[in-house]
Amino acid sequence: MRYSIVALFLVLEAISFAIFVNNDRYPKSVFLSSSNGVVASLQAAANSVGDFLRLFPANKALSAENARLKDRITELENQIALAGLCDTDTSYFVYPDRNYTYIPAKIINSSTNKTRNFITLNRGKRDGIHPDMGVVSPEGVVGIVKTVSEHFSVAIPLLNPMIQINGKIARNNFRGPVSWDGLDYRYVTMNDVPRHVELYKGDSILTSGLTATFPENIPIGIIDNFVENVSGNFHNIKVKLAVDFRKISNVHIVSYKNFDEQVKLENAEN
Amino acid sequence: MVQILFQNIGRFIILVLLQVLVLNNIQFLGFVNPYIYILFILSLPVKTNRWLMLLFSFLLGITVDAFSNTLGLHAFACVLIGFFRNLLLKLFASIDENLNFEPGFRTIGIGAYIKYVIVLVLIHHLTLFFMEAFTFAHFGVTLYRALINSLITILLIFGIQLLRGK
Repeated sequence: MRYSIVALFLVLEAISFAIFVNNDRYPKSVFLSSSNGVVASLQAAANSVGDFLRLFPANKALSAENARLKDRITELENQIALAGLCDTDTSYFVYPDRNYTYIPAKIINSSTNKTRNFITLNRGKRDGIHPDMGVVSPEGVVGIVKTVSEHFSVAIPLLNPMIQINGKIARNNFRGPVSWDGLDYRYVTMNDVPRHVELYKGDSILTSGLTATFPENIPIGIIDNFVENVSGNFHNIKVKLAVDFRKISNVHIVSYKNFDEQVKLENAEN
Repeated sequence: MVQILFQNIGRFIILVLLQVLVLNNIQFLGFVNPYIYILFILSLPVKTNRWLMLLFSFLLGITVDAFSNTLGLHAFACVLIGFFRNLLLKLFASIDENLNFEPGFRTIGIGAYIKYVIVLVLIHHLTLFFMEAFTFAHFGVTLYRALINSLITILLIFGIQLLRGK
């Protein structure tokens, strides 16, 4: 009798241990598990008790989130109001008849104090971002997307000698490349404008629309100063940037629907 | 006899429901999860057939396991204390062989019952926590958790027994 108890004890322990060790491998095939209907429905009841117990912290978290969202609504309403009062030149954002769409993005990392500055955006492949897309802010041109990961993208801002943007003078449509000399984050230079072109300080420099990256007429800046270049045939124009790169945080990424088609065609010609 | 049977079936159901519906959902401080359902094993009448005691322990453990997705874990710990229960009871208290009573403060004495509960809860919890961890790698952490939860379980069991007045 005594030994049979020990035997039963050992058998039960062996069974327990065996199913415990094997449970990981066959969690669903064992009939006594949560997938079992009775157990599952009782467990749903157990979860509802748990839910009830978790209501208090959940409520606190929700009210905190509510407050944050209300702040955000107010902030956004203010922004909308401001945008409505501003001049209508910023209407380039939504042009349904064009092939451009704008993807809102937020700058999550940027620099202005280096000779090669970069901007990190919180949008990536997942949001339909590709390299060579333009980045604009409500004030004007920001830069061009260079690399894209799943959730993020890195853009080269105008404040980087690696890129050149084709600009034009609003008054007379003369075009020239705009680039940064790496000195002052507030100014860029525009070259290759012939000497005979009449320039006035304060004139607007806009995007030319001759590349697939930016739509036409997005502000780059205004003419701050100009001198003749060394050869004497062209102007060197100092342009004050429309965008304050120390302040921008919300931008739009320009998606040109037929970008691939256009680039492919152009490359085929070359 | 029939009354004792129903009393224990009722206790089984109540303790399992209390354990899986309430206590398993208390995650106070992230790891506090007392297991007072073993009070069923501790409270089986002293003259319960030892075969039945082992089978009941296994049934209790496997039931709680089914709700915790830890198949075999509680069963192992429960069968272990189901086996050692009567041995410890005889060790700590002098038992009248002719009476069939439930172990409690009054029936076996306060000191004996305290020792009885502490030792059995420690056996159960240490087995449970170390088997669940399935490693001695984080020995200190596992031991700490087992001891903290044992303390809470022991206090809860004493509290329940005092309220029931037994």
